[in-house]
Amino acid sequence: MAVTLCPMNSELEIRTPAQLLATESVLERTARFERDAMQYTNQLYAAAMRYTKDPHDAQDLVQDTYAKAFTSFHQFEPGTNLKAWLYRILTTTFINTYRKDQRRPLISDGEVEDWQLAASASHTSDQGKSAEDEVLENLPDGDVKRALHEIPEEFRLAVFYADVEGYSYKEIADILGIPAGTVMSRLHRGRKLLRVLLMDYAKNRGFGGSDGM
Amino acid sequence: MECNEVLHALILFIDNEIEDATQVQTFQSHFEECPQCLTEMEHERLVLARMKSLLSEECCEQAPEDLQSRIAKQTALLASQMFSPTQVITEYRRTETTINGETHIEIETTHEIRRDFPLS
Repeated sequence: MAVTLCPMNSELEIRTPAQLLATESVLERTARFERDAMQYTNQLYAAAMRYTKDPHDAQDLVQDTYAKAFTSFHQFEPGTNLKAWLYRILTTTFINTYRKDQRRPLISDGEVEDWQLAASASHTSDQGKSAEDEVLENLPDGDVKRALHEIPEEFRLAVFYADVEGYSYKEIADILGIPAGTVMSRLHRGRKLLRVLLMDYAKNRGFGGSDGM
Repeated sequence: MECNEVLHALILFIDNEIEDATQVQTFQSHFEECPQCLTEMEHERLVLARMKSLLSEECCEQAPEDLQSRIAKQTALLASQMFSPTQVITEYRRTETTINGETHIEIETTHEIRRDFPLS
């Protein structure tokens, strides 16, 4: 067995970022918070709109998120992704305050599985593809947002973080506090549902191909 | 790799979520052999790119102007509360002395001011 022994230098003091922050004064922390965290107000607001779907609730949610973020800012590890950290706080704040007394039926992760698997297990028709392309190229303003707000919250948030914010499954898993595999299935279903809705809107306007998807 | 395996895992391929390079290669070999799956993949990739740009255009609401100042005020308030509160500890001592039926009561108070710096 090859073991290299490293002599421990007892005089060497390594100060971790956490230790450095422990000595940070309130004023220093406030300045750091204003410099680093306040730049994301607009992005947090846009995210909050996906959670609450209401401008007033979204403002409250963002403000509450900043309050929580400031009081636990010493726990944020400098050098890691601050925006994702703020999104995580946004998520827990939303769950704790805005969803607490709402008895909301939660979509189980298996509910939409059957039709979705059937749809993805075979090749789609060329006709369906070109109809979809045509619809997506000619969407009126507002259709995508409307469809996004119609799909269940769990799917909407996965789609928002992946397709607007560009986060990886792992990063989304951290933000939403769910396993990466769940992110994948919610994202997959969310995207499918969006496309189905967009085709429906187009059909109702008398536009698009005959068979949709 | 079979077509249905490829199609089931297509989302992972398109999202660049397959870390194993040999697995990515397996997908690519399948696309070289199977024009149907290749078309499917390219279509999915195109639709996703289109959806991403549409979503990004429509999901970028600007926060109302006063929100930022409200948050700044809130931060200042929270910061002021973070300075450790000053504690004033008051002690009372009551001394009762009775001499020849005459009672004498003496009350003595002491104040101690405790303050902690800085916050943890």
